[in-house]
Amino acid sequence: MTNAIDRRRFNCILLSAPALGVAGYLPASARDFIEPPYLKDQIEAKRLPPLQERIPVKPRVIDLERMERKPGRYGGQIRMLMGDPKDVRMVVVYGYARLVGYDENLNLVPDILENFEVEDGRIFTLRIRPGHRWSDGHPFTAEDFRYFWEDIANNEKLSLTGPPAEMLVDGKPPVFEVLDECTVRYTWPAPNPAFIPALAGALPLYIYAPSHYLKQFHVKYAHPAELELKVTSARVRDWTSLHERMGRMYRPQNPDLPCLDAWCLSTAPPSTRFVFKRNPYFHRIDTEGRQLPYADEIILNIGSSALVAAQTATGEADLQARYIRFDDYTFLKSAEKRGGFNVELWGRGEGSRMALLPNLNAEDPVWRKLWRDVRVRRALSLAIDRREINQAIFYGLGRESANTMLPQSPLHRLEYQTAWTRFDLDQANKLLDEAGLAKRDWDGIRYLPDGRRAELVVETAGESTEQADVLALIRDNWLKIGIKIYTRPTQRDLFRKRVYAGSVVMSVWSGLDNALATPDMSPHELAPTGQAQLQWPKWGQHYEEKGAVGEPPDLPEARRLLELYLAWRQSRSTAERAVIWHEMLKIHADQVFTIGTVNGTRQPVVVSKRLVNVPEEGIWAFDPGGYFGRYLPDTFWFRDTAE
Amino acid sequence: MLLYIFRRILIMIPTLLLTSALVFTIMELPPGDYFESYMAELQAQGEGVDKARIEFLKKEYGFDKSPVERYFIWLGGLLQGDLGYSFEYQMPVSELVGSRIFLTVLVSFATILLTWLIAFPIGIYSATHQYSWGDYGLTFLGLMGIAVPNFLLALILMYFANVWFGTSIGHLMAPEYLGQPMSWAKFKSILEHMWIPVIVIGLAGTASMIRKIRANLLDELQKQYTITAKAKGLHPFKALVKYPLRSSLNFFVGGIGGILPEIVSGAEIVAIVLSLETTGPLLIKALQSQDMYLAGSFLMFLALLTVIGVLISDIALAFLDPRIRLQGRSTR
Repeated sequence: MTNAIDRRRFNCILLSAPALGVAGYLPASARDFIEPPYLKDQIEAKRLPPLQERIPVKPRVIDLERMERKPGRYGGQIRMLMGDPKDVRMVVVYGYARLVGYDENLNLVPDILENFEVEDGRIFTLRIRPGHRWSDGHPFTAEDFRYFWEDIANNEKLSLTGPPAEMLVDGKPPVFEVLDECTVRYTWPAPNPAFIPALAGALPLYIYAPSHYLKQFHVKYAHPAELELKVTSARVRDWTSLHERMGRMYRPQNPDLPCLDAWCLSTAPPSTRFVFKRNPYFHRIDTEGRQLPYADEIILNIGSSALVAAQTATGEADLQARYIRFDDYTFLKSAEKRGGFNVELWGRGEGSRMALLPNLNAEDPVWRKLWRDVRVRRALSLAIDRREINQAIFYGLGRESANTMLPQSPLHRLEYQTAWTRFDLDQANKLLDEAGLAKRDWDGIRYLPDGRRAELVVETAGESTEQADVLALIRDNWLKIGIKIYTRPTQRDLFRKRVYAGSVVMSVWSGLDNALATPDMSPHELAPTGQAQLQWPKWGQHYEEKGAVGEPPDLPEARRLLELYLAWRQSRSTAERAVIWHEMLKIHADQVFTIGTVNGTRQPVVVSKRLVNVPEEGIWAFDPGGYFGRYLPDTFWFRDTAE
Repeated sequence: MLLYIFRRILIMIPTLLLTSALVFTIMELPPGDYFESYMAELQAQGEGVDKARIEFLKKEYGFDKSPVERYFIWLGGLLQGDLGYSFEYQMPVSELVGSRIFLTVLVSFATILLTWLIAFPIGIYSATHQYSWGDYGLTFLGLMGIAVPNFLLALILMYFANVWFGTSIGHLMAPEYLGQPMSWAKFKSILEHMWIPVIVIGLAGTASMIRKIRANLLDELQKQYTITAKAKGLHPFKALVKYPLRSSLNFFVGGIGGILPEIVSGAEIVAIVLSLETTGPLLIKALQSQDMYLAGSFLMFLALLTVIGVLISDIALAFLDPRIRLQGRSTR
């Protein structure tokens, strides 16, 4: 058995050998590779092979000069501060080693994979880099994909709900084939455009697993008595828990788990300091023959999230943006010298820093009816002075906009950004009069159709004073159109429960999570597809739970959005997807289902003066690209290292 | 006496059972469960949620069962010494608490010692020099100590310690020693960092302790036996320490029972502000995120220590103060 695999593996490398000459950008001989000093002892002790044998035959070559960055040197530790032990996942997010990933310009490029082919939108052929190895030196091959598909995704004990949703088209799984040791193919009966973007997600769809390591925890492969012993000594319920715990890649907790990331976990929890060490088999190199990452270690210090800004100011972090808010900017700026860092201002990636969400599924029948009248939604949007909000709260650094794409997105259009966003109280009043709210009380507050005054409570999750400040500004202007709001901060869990149940008439939350979308990314946020969409929780729930609970959308425009989303799920080409996206964005701009305020607000990013290659400008967004991930933190280096 | 102790131990069993039911019920009361608030947290940060994994975890932790069933599973585990699993940390509660208990006990112990060392002399001085300038001055300081919020003081001290002495902010040691095995350098680093939490946590306790000693001692000092003793020419020291002070200490001995859980839990809020590696932040975090077994088992542990502590106090009181009777016998 082992022999057979070895021989096939050999074939796989042999077949691709001619490609090496063609590639040409690799250093000509082993002499030209530069070994990281960090691994010197291990290489000299022959515990690690030389660099040329550690990297794939065709590694991913990062051309830093073309990216207008400087090739670097090895060494150093990047220190970061975190507020929660669960934040260990941030190293996997920032590291952003994915089968395919987004680059700085939002193009999808193969990363761990050598390449991939899509035929007819439904046949996906993925090619692994020959010679690619896990961090423990074991080859990374098609077997790791097979193991995931057959022994994890299709094992009913490990995957209770079956294979991941992105791998099902109309509930049907793909046909999985191993073409050779380095090539796998997934074939669906119909197009599956969600597949590749899911692989590139900041929270990726993992379709592989370190099979050589995990088999010892799998009931199908492990020796029953040994497995029993492992389950007892780990004090878990059964082998599934053990397998889950040992094999978790996104939020790692097992230092023994082989990984493909730039840095691998080396500290066993519980701890307040996690050390991630460089992966000696990482698949990216620079043009000068150095293996990435440049920095040897990433150190996470876990403390209280409230202290992060203060600790950063004393120079305890080399690269920090998480848990730092815009209001910390002046404080950090004043500490720049003492702490030895620069504070850059990146843009934030939400569609709107703060959006007002009229609950179309509110329990109150009068408000529900009003919210479904587009004139009311438009009027409320027109009565917000976005310029004032931008100047007063965000020092004019934001962008007055509806809740839509950012200009950096290829799907951005100015008319989406400006739709119903000019400050026009006259027109707002006119629209409300037309909507049947013409009668007013002595103090100018309108009467609702059932005789109540038009007063409503806007609920927030009570997480930031910023929201309260913005609402105070909005409140004054809405009074001028005869609508009085009261702000009520609650607690996050309670807030969501109340919105889901329809007890909340209007809520506040951030806008679109992904406002940097390309046509190939899923437009699910624009259609009623999830309960967490607070403007139509019951419609979203209806889709999410396949009609079992919730309510089907009854506004024609919302139904159209859902149709368009389903059409996207069936689409075959990028052009087709762009058409769908634009129609959806157009409906949103026109219908104002969510009322955006300001987007592109700033995210302070603290960068040590010693750290080179961190872009001065960027977009801080989880998706696409995993915060720093798209900007390749493995290429960040310290100017004062010993190498 | 033995019979009394035996009876008290028997009574502890229903007390703890009742506590466990209460703890569990209260933790079940808030809407949702750990997994829902976890998903909400991720969504609040604009991050993705792996629903399949959440389903898996829910099943693994028995969330497909009814609360009553889960209560008995948890209770059964507790009886066998199994504190359950923390969702948040994905590890056994005992390991989690165990990893932090040493530093917690160290900080708490130092704090309590400091409290006593400062409070006793000052309290006695204030009582014996009632309404003097010294008494007013120290009372003023003591009231300040009670009035200043601990966390605020913590922040201020931390800032100045950093600016003046270069002590790193937060934590009980410099970052490079976190997660390292104990060494002399690490111990020194701990000592260097420990004074802030010890002062901050100790301050309010010291202040209130001063007030209590002063009040109790004053009561005794005005009693006739003290006046008689003084009138008879007993040495002033003896007339203060041997009789009135001893009698005024009942509140103190009674309070020893409360110290036991305090040593283990540490001061929660201050520990959060200072990012201490003690058990306090663990407990608060667990309660916030509805990490039921971690919070529940820890609270039960504290409840157990409280019950034991009260028992110890009662026994100690009975020994120290002959006026206290164990049974409600009528006095002749």
